[in-house]
Amino acid sequence: MEGVSYQRFPKIKIREVRDDYMKFELRETDASIANALRRVMIAEVPTIAIDLVEIEVNSSVLNDEFIAHRLGLVPLTSERAMGMRFSRDCDACDGDGQCEYCSVEFHLRAKCINDQTLDVTSKDLYSSDHTVVPVDFSDSSSSFENSENKGIIIVKLRRGQELILRAIARKGIGKDHAKWSPAATVTFMYEPEIYINEELMESLTLEEKREFVESSPTPVFKLDENTYQVEINDAEAYTYDEEVIKKAESMGKPGLVEIRAKEDSFIFTVESTGAVKASQLFLNAIDVLKQKLDAVRLSADTVEADEQFGELGAHMRGG
Amino acid sequence: MNAPDRYERFVVPEGVAKVSYERDTKIINAASFTIEREDHTIGNILRMQLHRDENVLFAGYKLPHPLKYKIIIRIHTTSQSSPMQAYNQAINDLDKELDHLKNAFEAELSRHSLRQ
Repeated sequence: MEGVSYQRFPKIKIREVRDDYMKFELRETDASIANALRRVMIAEVPTIAIDLVEIEVNSSVLNDEFIAHRLGLVPLTSERAMGMRFSRDCDACDGDGQCEYCSVEFHLRAKCINDQTLDVTSKDLYSSDHTVVPVDFSDSSSSFENSENKGIIIVKLRRGQELILRAIARKGIGKDHAKWSPAATVTFMYEPEIYINEELMESLTLEEKREFVESSPTPVFKLDENTYQVEINDAEAYTYDEEVIKKAESMGKPGLVEIRAKEDSFIFTVESTGAVKASQLFLNAIDVLKQKLDAVRLSADTVEADEQFGELGAHMRGG
Repeated sequence: MNAPDRYERFVVPEGVAKVSYERDTKIINAASFTIEREDHTIGNILRMQLHRDENVLFAGYKLPHPLKYKIIIRIHTTSQSSPMQAYNQAINDLDKELDHLKNAFEAELSRHSLRQ
C-alpha cells in the first residue's frame, strides 16, 4: 500500500498585509485544517511576556500584584521566541528561569518629583536584550496629531510616589496564560456563493426589489438605480443570517436567491498584538502544528510491541 | 490554593507515553490511540484526514473529560490496511500538506510585497 497518498494541496491568496493585520483566502482544504491553524495561532504560538516581578519600592496607589499583572500583559517583541527555551526545560539554569537562554530581564525605576502627575509607561521598562522590548505602536498609528511616543500606561504617580522593580520575562504560550497569546483576533469564515434567480427577480415590482435589498442587515445586495436590477454588492458581507431567504419566502418567492457556503474556501482575518508580525504569526502557527503532529507519531517500541504479540496479545489482554 | 499547575494542560508527565495504542479485543483491524495532552486541534485534523482514506471504515475522536487532558482516537479499517498504517499515513499526509501550505504562503507573501 506504499505510495498511496491522500494529501491535499491548499492554495493561498493574500488580500492585505500590514505588520499587525492580515487578510487572506485559504482554498482547497477543509474546516479542520482552518480551525487547527486558528486555534494554534491563538493559544500555541509562543511569545515572550513578563512572568516574574520583584518589587523593591512601590508607593504608588496600585498594589504590588496589580502592577505585576499589568506588566505581564504588556506585549513584548517576540521574534526570538520560536528559538528560545521554555524555562521549565532549560538545562542551563535548572528551571530557575533566570538565564540568558530562557529569560530576559527588565528594570523599571520611576519617581515623581513635581506636582505634575507622572505616567509610568512601557517606555520606562529597560530591557537587558535589545531584541525583546515593549511593542512600539507609535509609527503604525501616525494618524494621531501628536506623534509623541507614549507607550502603554502601567501606573500614574503623584508627587513623592516611587516605583522600583525588576522583572523577568519568559517564553510561554497562550494556553498557559492569555498574556502569551500573540493574537488579538483570528477568525475565518466560509466564502459565500450567491445565485440570484434572475427570472424570478424580474417578476418583482420595483418596490418589492427595494424591500428585498433592504431586508438584509448587512449590505449584501444593491439595486442598480439605472437598470433597476438587483445585484450583488458585497457577498462577503453576508453573515449567514438567512434574513433575505426568509424575506423571499414571505414575499411568496422561495428560491429567489440561493446562498451556499463553499466548504473548502475560507477567508481568514489575523490581527496580532504586535509581538510578532501577522504574516510571521501564520508561518509560526504552521511550524507549531507540524511539531505537534510530529510529537503524536507512534514511537518505535509501541510498534514493536504490537508486532511481537499482535492478535494474540489482544486476545490475552481481553481475557 | 490547591489549583493544579497551569502547565498540566500541555506538559506530558514523566513516565507517561505521549501516544499509546490498544487493539480492539473483538473486532479485527480496529484500535484506539490514546494521545496525552492534546485536544481538538490534533484530534479533529487527524479524524478528517482519516476520513479521506478509503480503507478506513470508521475514524472518530473524543475528549473524554474537559479536565482530563487527553484524547482518544478510534480507527477501524478494512483488511487492506491496519489502524496503525492508516494513522501513520494520516500524519504523513498532514505533514506534507502543511509543508506545501508553508511554501505556498511564503511564495504568495513575496509576490504580494512585489505587487505593492
